[in-house]
Amino acid sequence: MATIYFNHKTLRHFVSCHSSQQAIKKVVSVVQSCLSCLILCCLLGGCAQQDEFESDQVGNFEALWTIMDEHYSFFDYKQVDWNEVHSRYRTRVSNEMTDRELFDICGDMLKELRDGHTNLIASHDVSRYWIWEQWPVNYDERLINEHYLNFDYKMASGITYQILPQNFGYMHYSSFSSVIGEGNLDLILSYLSTADGLIIDVRDNGGGYLTNVEKLVSRFIEQKTLAGYICHKTGKGHNDLSEPYAYYFEPTRNHIHYLKPVVVLANRGAFSASNNFVSIMKSLGNVTVVGDTTGGGCGLPFTSELPNGWRVRFSSCPIMDPQGRLTEFGVAPDVRVDMDRNDPTHDAILDAAISILTQKTDITTNNNNNH
Amino acid sequence: MTLRVLVILYCLLISVGAAGQENVSMFTVDAGYASVHDSYLTPITYGGTDLALGYEAMRSMKRYSDKWLWQLQVGADYNYVENDAKNNQLHKLMGDITFDMQRQWRGAIAQRVNLSVGPMTQLRAGIIYDEVNSNNPVSVRAHWNVGVTGMATFDTRMWRIPVTLRYQAQLPALGVFFAPEYDESYYEIYLGNRKNLAHLGWWGNRFDMTNYVGADLHLGKTTLRVGYRARLEHWNVNYLKVHDVGHSLVLGINL
Repeated sequence: MATIYFNHKTLRHFVSCHSSQQAIKKVVSVVQSCLSCLILCCLLGGCAQQDEFESDQVGNFEALWTIMDEHYSFFDYKQVDWNEVHSRYRTRVSNEMTDRELFDICGDMLKELRDGHTNLIASHDVSRYWIWEQWPVNYDERLINEHYLNFDYKMASGITYQILPQNFGYMHYSSFSSVIGEGNLDLILSYLSTADGLIIDVRDNGGGYLTNVEKLVSRFIEQKTLAGYICHKTGKGHNDLSEPYAYYFEPTRNHIHYLKPVVVLANRGAFSASNNFVSIMKSLGNVTVVGDTTGGGCGLPFTSELPNGWRVRFSSCPIMDPQGRLTEFGVAPDVRVDMDRNDPTHDAILDAAISILTQKTDITTNNNNNH
Repeated sequence: MTLRVLVILYCLLISVGAAGQENVSMFTVDAGYASVHDSYLTPITYGGTDLALGYEAMRSMKRYSDKWLWQLQVGADYNYVENDAKNNQLHKLMGDITFDMQRQWRGAIAQRVNLSVGPMTQLRAGIIYDEVNSNNPVSVRAHWNVGVTGMATFDTRMWRIPVTLRYQAQLPALGVFFAPEYDESYYEIYLGNRKNLAHLGWWGNRFDMTNYVGADLHLGKTTLRVGYRARLEHWNVNYLKVHDVGHSLVLGINL
């Protein structure tokens, strides 16, 4: 306000005392001042460069290391000394090396994190730590289609489903990236509602949208259910994590629910959102998880970028199971079963699921008879 | 309740507008260069095209002896920006509404010079979308603030055409704005964790400024506008940095 008062008085003074020529000079002066301010602002805007790294090989290496240093959330959990990793890999990088050589070194550095969610993505390659490729496969789609479904199955929303001869429903969801429609799910569960139990097969399901996890789990619960905890980094320090936030799923209203015994089939290929699905289903009372430990991957991945345009994906927001445990290295099954490689006509994991459901339904039938 | 307030505001604007002598009602198109830096999405600064559509109404308030004027600006702007490696793009879409009232001094320095200054308020919101990011594909922007605006106009003739030269600066000072925590996902917000999302904006953590310089060419009943606009948005909170700059040519016409 002081400035306005000064201008007001001063301007009156100009009007009353100065000749028109002097006034025009003042106008020019004011306009010049305004333009100077404008140019200054433009220069300030243009000069505020945020990028800290050069786009040469060393600069890109340092950018990658720094992005991970400031954003990755599992350093302490995995006991990785990231500074030591830097000193070990930095000596291998020089500006004279090719892009492919740099990519390989950066990819190797990221593998130190033992994280399936961490990838370096370039035009020519994607670095990855897919340890599940080295574990038993424990899933054969052709075997199930041929020997259990007789190539007679239905498909909707990325889910294949059918009722097995033992009167147990079977559904295989191959990717949580396939969007599930509530209407589709109603029709699937309506068809399977006559079955005495249900087998949900998420083997080799590499993950996808967590919203699909919620959509699916909501059909198997009767009341608001603790699904787990989520947290996020609040700063650049390795331990700057928020308080875990408890999140809940609620049963979907006005849609079909399935509350009979359920068995979830898992293997090491069940990763990320699929791992999350298994961790939540395992906590439900009427669900048994059968097969192998899941592939893990409980960090919600974020993506960032290097000056040369390579993208880096990394675990950023840890998600815990309903017991508050991290499942980064997988969810153990309730019943551990491996498939027999020498028996191409039987899926031992599916057979175990059928046995478990048979026992459960027998017990239920006996209890009902006794009552 | 909200509707009632809007109706009252609308009636107020109509009444003061009808009483005014000056009548600026201008549709504008901006085209130029924008740079976008949003560390939630990427540490890299992107650059590219800035496009905007706007409407401006300005009235002198006769009820207050022409000492005051009000100005309403409504706009939407779109930035299509690219990284230096030319392998990724961001899309930024924003909308804003700005209202101010200014005390004016007619013929303050010279006979044809008007100066004015007064309080302003602005609501601006939108999103930036990254085409390839995984769980951080968008950054939501929203702020409401109050500040000060100042304007200088000079009526003259160029090539026998009446022209109004104008410079205006808008400088928000205080407000409220949205920002997630450092690496907080929108999924977590969707799950219900809405702590620490609203922040008090002041010059310690946020600085916005819009500068406009241009000329209105009065051709009979038609007025054409040509000008230059510079827009700056900068904030730094929760270790997140935003620094957006736009430079654009402004063309407009009254209807």
